Amino acid sequence: MGMPCPLCRGWLRDLGLFGPRRRASARRDRPSRRRPGTTSQPGQLRGQARSSATSPLPSPPQVSSPLPAPWGSVLGVARDMVVLRAGLCPGLSEEMIQLLRANGIRTVVDFVSSDLEDVAQKCSLSYKALVAVRRVLLAQFSAFPANGADLYEELKSSTAILPTGSPSLDQLLDSGLYTGEMTELMGAPGSGKTQVCMGIVASVSLGLKQHVLFLDSTGGFTASRLYQMLRAQAQAEEEQLEALQRIQVVRVFNIYEMLSALQELRDRLSQQVVSSTGPLKMVVIDSVSAVIYPLLGGKQSEGLAIMMQLARELKTLAREFSLAVVVTNQVTRDSSTGALKPALGRSWSFVPSTRVLLEIKEAAWEKATMQRVASLAKSPRQPTGIQVELDIGYGDVQKPNPATPPQGL
Amino acid sequence: KLLARLEGRSSLKNLEPYLFAEEGSPVHGDVIEFHGPEGTGKTEMLYHLIARCIIPKSGGGLEVEVMFIDTDYHFDMLRLVTILESRLAQRTEEMIKQCLGRLFLVNCNSSTQLLLTLYSLENMFCTHPSLCLLILDSLSAFYWIDRSNGGESLNLQEMNLKKCANFLEKLVREHHLVLFATTQTLMQKSTNSAESFFPLKLQHETDTDYRPYLCKSWQQMVTHRIFFSKQCSPGNSKGFTVISCHLKRNHVVKRSFNVAECGVQF
Repeated sequence: MGMPCPLCRGWLRDLGLFGPRRRASARRDRPSRRRPGTTSQPGQLRGQARSSATSPLPSPPQVSSPLPAPWGSVLGVARDMVVLRAGLCPGLSEEMIQLLRANGIRTVVDFVSSDLEDVAQKCSLSYKALVAVRRVLLAQFSAFPANGADLYEELKSSTAILPTGSPSLDQLLDSGLYTGEMTELMGAPGSGKTQVCMGIVASVSLGLKQHVLFLDSTGGFTASRLYQMLRAQAQAEEEQLEALQRIQVVRVFNIYEMLSALQELRDRLSQQVVSSTGPLKMVVIDSVSAVIYPLLGGKQSEGLAIMMQLARELKTLAREFSLAVVVTNQVTRDSSTGALKPALGRSWSFVPSTRVLLEIKEAAWEKATMQRVASLAKSPRQPTGIQVELDIGYGDVQKPNPATPPQGL
Repeated sequence: KLLARLEGRSSLKNLEPYLFAEEGSPVHGDVIEFHGPEGTGKTEMLYHLIARCIIPKSGGGLEVEVMFIDTDYHFDMLRLVTILESRLAQRTEEMIKQCLGRLFLVNCNSSTQLLLTLYSLENMFCTHPSLCLLILDSLSAFYWIDRSNGGESLNLQEMNLKKCANFLEKLVREHHLVLFATTQTLMQKSTNSAESFFPLKLQHETDTDYRPYLCKSWQQMVTHRIFFSKQCSPGNSKGFTVISCHLKRNHVVKRSFNVAECGVQF
C-alpha cells in the first residue's frame, strides 16, 4: 500500500508542533494525580525520559509503510524503556551508573531483573546500596496495587451516570452513560450517529450543566443544528447560551491532531485549573474510524499500534478523570449476508465496554423519516439484543409517540 | 518465609469444576489461559472466579485472596459488586467491603510496566499467604504496541512478553499460585497453516478458532487452555460455550453457560 502523501507532508509540518512541545512538557514537572491502582506512565505519548540513543533519527519515508520511521515518538515508549542515568532516583550516582554499564546493565529492567549479590561482587558496589536503589526504582516505575474495598469506596463517589436525554436510549444503556467507560455508537452512513451524539451533548450540557468536549473528525458537526436542539429543550436564551459555552468543539482531521487534542485535554485536567471551562464530564469523538482508517492496511503493525495507543489513552482518560467517552464507528459485514459488526477490526472490538448499533428502521426507507432503531450489541451489565426506537427528528432525540416497548432477547 | 509458602496456600480444587476437563483442578502451579473473541464471556468468567474466591466460607466461597492485574482498564468494579450482592445471603455494605478487602487490583500501562510490577508484587506474595490466585486480564493487550516498538526483529518484539512469561512462571512455581490469564483472539485463523509461526499440533486447536501468536515461552507454560465462544447451535439454550483442554493429558471437554445478573451460571 503506497504512502498517502498528504499524510506525510502533514507529519513533516507537525514535526515542529510535536518536537518542541513534547520536550517542553517533559521538562515541566507536572504533579499528576496519583490514584491507587493507576500510575502516570512516563513516556506514554509524552515522550519523556527517552534515550536519544535508542530512538532512530527520522529516515526518509519508505514507500512500503504508510507511516514514517520515528513512530516511536508518538507511541512514546522506546524499546529500552528508561535507561539508567544519574539522578533518576536517590542513591543512583554517576559512578554507579558507569560500573553497572560496564557490566551490561543499562536499563531499569536490566537492573531489577539481575541478581544483586552477583552485581555487588562484579561491580564492587555495596549490596545494601543496590537493594535500596532497586526498591526505589520499583516503587517509581511499577504500578501500585489497590485494595478492592478502597477502590470501591472511591468509585462510588466518583462514578456518575449521565442520562442521554432520550429515555429509550437510557433504557438501552441502563440509565445512561457511565463515567469511567467507553461507549461506542456504530452504524452505517446516514444512520444518525452524529445526530445522536449531538443530542447527547445538548442534553448533558443543558440538562446536567456539565462540560463536554466534542472532537469532530468528519466535519459533520453543525452549530446551527446543535442550537436547534438546544432551543427545543430550553426556552430561555441565557440558558441556551450557557449551554453552548459549556461545549467545546475541536476539529481534528488526522490521528496526530486527535492525539494532540487529547494531550491538551490531559494537561488541562491534570493541572486541575478552576477556569471558565469547568469540570469536564464527557468526551465525544465523531468519528474514530475516520482517523484510524488511513493507518490500517498492509502488513505493517504500526497502524494497529497507533490505534491501540489511542484506545489506551481514551480509556485511561476515562478512568483517571471519571469521564464518559463516546466514540462513533462505521460498520462492516463479514459477507453479504453476515451480521453487522464494528469496523476497525478485531483488536478494536475489545476496546469499548458498551456498543450500540444504530440502524434505519426498515419501513422508514420509503418515507425518509427520522425513525431509527438502536440495539445493544455489547454491554458489561445488560443482556445484549435489546432494541429500542429513537426519533432523531427536529427536536432533540426523543422517544416517538406512541410508546414502543423495547424488545427483549 | 519458606514455611509460609509450603503451608499457607489453600486448595483451589473446588473453584469451578465445570471449567476443567479433569477433577481436582486447578492445582497449585497451574497456568490457565482463557482465549476467545470479544463478547464471549471471558471477563464474566473471571468475575465468577473472583466471587468464588473472596466470598467467605460461611457464604459458600473459598475465602482466599486474589490479585488482579488489569492491562486494558476492563475491570468493572460495579459489576463485581452486583454479582457479590446476588450471591451473598447478607447483602450488607459491611459484608461487601469485607469480601472486596480480599481483592487486590493493579493497572499496567505497558509491557515494561507489567514486568516491573510483577517484580514488585513478589514481595506481596511472600507476605500474604492466603493470596493464591493471580489473574491477568489480558496478556495480549500490548501485542501490537510491542510489535511496533520491536522494529524488524521478532526477538525484540517478544522480549518483554517473554520476560513477563518467565517471571510469571517463577512466581507461580515458587509461591504455589494458580494463574489465570486471558488472551484475545486478535487474528483470524489462517487457512494455510504453513503460514503461521506456530503450527497447530493438537486436535482441539484445529477445531476451534485458535491461532497462536504469543511468544513460545508463554505457550509452553500453559497447562490448561480454555476457549470461549458464543453459542450458535439452536438446540442448546445457553448463551456461551467453553471448550476446556488439559494440555498435558490432551483431555478435552465442552460445556455451556449463561450469564445472568448473578454472573456465570453453568
